[in-house]
Amino acid sequence: MLLGLDVGGTHTDVVIIDKTGIVATDKVKTNHNDLLETVNRGIENAVKNVNRDDIERVNLSTTLSTNAIVEGKTENVAVLVSAGPGVDPANYRLGEYYYSITGSIDHRGTEILPLNTKETDSALKAAKKAGCKVYAAITKFSTRNPAQENRLCEKIGSAADFITPGHMLSGRLSFPRRVATAYYNSAVWRQFNAFAESVEKSINGFGIKANLNILKADGGTMPLAVSKGLPVESILSGPAASVMGIIALCQVTRDSVLLDIGGTTTDIAIFASGAPIIEPDGISLNSAATLVRALRTKSIGIGGDSVLRVRDGGVVSVGPDRLGPSLADGGAAVALTDAFNFMKIDSHGDVNASAAGIAGLAKNNGMKPNDLAKKAIDCAVGAICDAVRRLVDEINMKPVYTIHELLEGKKVAPEQVYVMGGPAKAFSKRLADALRLPVNVPQNYAVANAIGAALARTTMYIELLADTEKGRMIIPDIGVSRDIPAGYSLEEAEADAKKYLLGHMKKTDVADRHIHAEILDSASFNMVQGYDTTGRNIRVRCQVKPGVLHEYNDVLRNLC
Amino acid sequence: MLKAKNRLGIIFFPAYDWAISPTHPERQERLLYTQDQLKEEGVFDIDGIGEYKPEVATVQDVERVHFCFPDVESVCTESHLISAGGAITAAKLVMEKKEDRAFALVRPPGHHAMKVVHGARGFCNINIEAVMVEYIREHYGQKRIAIVDTDCHHGDGSQDIYWNDPNTLYISIHQDGRTLYPGSGFVDEMGGPNAIGKTVNIPLPPQTSDEGFLYVLEKVILPILDDFKPDLIINSAGQDNHYTDPITNMRFSARGYARLNELLRPDIAVLEGGYSIQGALPYVNLGIVLAMAGVDYSHVREPDYNSDAMKQNPVITQYIKKVGQDVLDRYRNSRNFVMRGMPGNYMVRKKPIFYDTDGIRENQVESVMICNECAGILKIESLSSVNPLCLCIEVPLGACDRCRDEGYRILKEGKQKNIYAYIQLINRRDREYLRF
Ligand SMILES: [Zn+2]
Ligand SMILES: [Zn+2]
Repeated sequence: MLLGLDVGGTHTDVVIIDKTGIVATDKVKTNHNDLLETVNRGIENAVKNVNRDDIERVNLSTTLSTNAIVEGKTENVAVLVSAGPGVDPANYRLGEYYYSITGSIDHRGTEILPLNTKETDSALKAAKKAGCKVYAAITKFSTRNPAQENRLCEKIGSAADFITPGHMLSGRLSFPRRVATAYYNSAVWRQFNAFAESVEKSINGFGIKANLNILKADGGTMPLAVSKGLPVESILSGPAASVMGIIALCQVTRDSVLLDIGGTTTDIAIFASGAPIIEPDGISLNSAATLVRALRTKSIGIGGDSVLRVRDGGVVSVGPDRLGPSLADGGAAVALTDAFNFMKIDSHGDVNASAAGIAGLAKNNGMKPNDLAKKAIDCAVGAICDAVRRLVDEINMKPVYTIHELLEGKKVAPEQVYVMGGPAKAFSKRLADALRLPVNVPQNYAVANAIGAALARTTMYIELLADTEKGRMIIPDIGVSRDIPAGYSLEEAEADAKKYLLGHMKKTDVADRHIHAEILDSASFNMVQGYDTTGRNIRVRCQVKPGVLHEYNDVLRNLC
Repeated sequence: MLKAKNRLGIIFFPAYDWAISPTHPERQERLLYTQDQLKEEGVFDIDGIGEYKPEVATVQDVERVHFCFPDVESVCTESHLISAGGAITAAKLVMEKKEDRAFALVRPPGHHAMKVVHGARGFCNINIEAVMVEYIREHYGQKRIAIVDTDCHHGDGSQDIYWNDPNTLYISIHQDGRTLYPGSGFVDEMGGPNAIGKTVNIPLPPQTSDEGFLYVLEKVILPILDDFKPDLIINSAGQDNHYTDPITNMRFSARGYARLNELLRPDIAVLEGGYSIQGALPYVNLGIVLAMAGVDYSHVREPDYNSDAMKQNPVITQYIKKVGQDVLDRYRNSRNFVMRGMPGNYMVRKKPIFYDTDGIRENQVESVMICNECAGILKIESLSSVNPLCLCIEVPLGACDRCRDEGYRILKEGKQKNIYAYIQLINRRDREYLRF
């Protein structure tokens, strides 16, 4: 049995699932001042009639880290960077305790200039004086050679309660993203850990002995033990939960579009052959780009509460803002839901208030109410369709780097649309007409987020780099670095990538015995000096992709 | 957050699955470390810098420029069409104002590919800048375009293609042809009779440093550009002037390249040569990208850069000043050039051409009709070790009636003669492209 908890902005959803289907669900209001209290309330209701011994896995999606960062309620971090030549690292400054230290490593991972000891010491002194207790250490090309980051960590030593070394976050290149990600990781570390530990205590208190896992933005989970060192991976997992919910509820196998239409926004996600598309570089938060792997979603300001406006000449606009709830929900401004009510496409809440509001707005602008409501709906549908097309185009225009991919690369062409959220039913026919695609509104979408959270399996992504001239192979984020012989091949590298990834997962996660690692791409380049081959530069990207826990594969299908 | 002063589109296409041969300088590995450097520096996350996928140039795009024998498909592969397509994508971004500037960071290069193509020369099959320039003219109207070629090798292909075009100013700075392939590009190569002065060659001595390159840029190239007043400036951004390049002898640095682009302010840059793939390209490309975007590049530096060792010998400085003055004088005097023949007469030159990459020999007789009203009808007879005698006729963009009619007369005559294995006509004026 699985317990899924989705702590969202307004509601917290809880769902319990066994191999026959949904056992229990519950929805409680999120108390932002005390998330633990919210979680406790949710679990308490849901587990009333359940044999708690049967719960083998608890998956939690939480907004704690996201909110802390967005609201700026994070701990001071001492950030130590060493960038060497290139773009001035002062551009990536985050927080007040940011220290740049001389030193340099090149793209092959060769140390060009050692870290300046004096500068390091004085930075540490300053950070200590400022009272910083959490640190982040980031050097350029540390994913190629983490030696300087490791040296910084040694130097910081016991001055820190926690240090984020940049190379442990991801094997991907991007010094600025590494700086931001390391910074946020340390900034939310203390709060996240306090929360995670209390949730763990709380579920134990309910007599649940299951492993606790934390949902990530890529639609997968990480075990609690992993999340304690990588709290930043818990940011923005909300949209991922709903995407995973749809995968669980519907048999998504083809290229598809998912629309999650809420009160304020519509979130769009795209599936390629049934698999959600991943953001190529990492998600952005607070306008800072990070290395946090995430499902690619796009949000536009169209929702049930989006406010209707009429400009000169009878041009009707919808959103992108909301001025409280719609008239139907007791609000003060005419909103999209009211237009649906007026047209009798929906009958949500106070239908009479909607009708009066639409009529009033139409009269003020010399329009027929019918025209106004129709134009508003057309405008909203048009905005969603445009956004869908743009997102699909962007995905198809993603740069590729081989002739084969450029000429033969698969293009995404959606064949199916899934719509969830409050106004989903009202929108479905219009969207089907406008996108000329079949539209499906799954049942149980109200708790799809929690279902997605409950069923998500552990995911992981690594990058392996082997340089046979240097005789080294490295997988930075799981701390693998070893000597390799000159004959080390692409096939060996692929096998190693899988072996180390699975080995690392087995160490921390025992629940899923069917983990399958796949090679995303791999390449081997001959390195040439003059006219002699001096070695091979091998790169392998390997992942356990997001998906539903294998044992539960068939549970919820066809509920759609 | 970093913000670009000029919005810059980068078309990055490293063709990781294509090489001339496994250890050839033009191999899969060439842009690998450049991509690593650009990614690690977060270049594509800078606000105002975007990355784009190249389109694939069509056979038609190539036939607008080149006479390919026996046909386009035989002399160029998909890799060349993508690299030319990358340049076209760059041009579109700028012409359609989606970006202020664009940089086609693509391979293989193109500036040694001439008007007539029988195979590959100097790692080039088709001239990607020329394909781009003529795409621009076809779709966005006749433009005055300046190509500034900063590759270490003389861009003899680009020179050949624009030899007779008064609307294209081709300026090349390169290592002196007496010391480096292809052995051309001397100051007295100044263009054909209808475009004299529109080809400018600035041969520089081996060991020229930043000081010399920037001197020539500021004192020679920029004044000439001011005079020509181009609608567009294109940089053929070869990077083999770098002090670590394995096949040349210059001392230009990454920061020097960046400064050059800052001063030149090209609308479009297209990668050409550059084969120090670890020691130069990652830093030179970073420098060019930042400079084109208007982002501070003053911290860009090669790991082994030593400014003292890169100081320019005063003897070289003096020599460069002399060359620069000579080039300027010639450019200014070209206006007073008097035709050595009456309009309607042909100027004829014979050219032996060697294709080093493919080992092909070609002999050409190029005739251009002197005309006061247009670039003049161009006729080339070409015989190579891989193709029998071929006839090429080009009616240029904006051709006058007489030159157009003359083109069709030559075509008719050529067909009657029955001595040509292939005849190709490019009529840019009426967009007629014929092959026989
Ligand atoms: Zn060159
Ligand atoms: Zn004419």
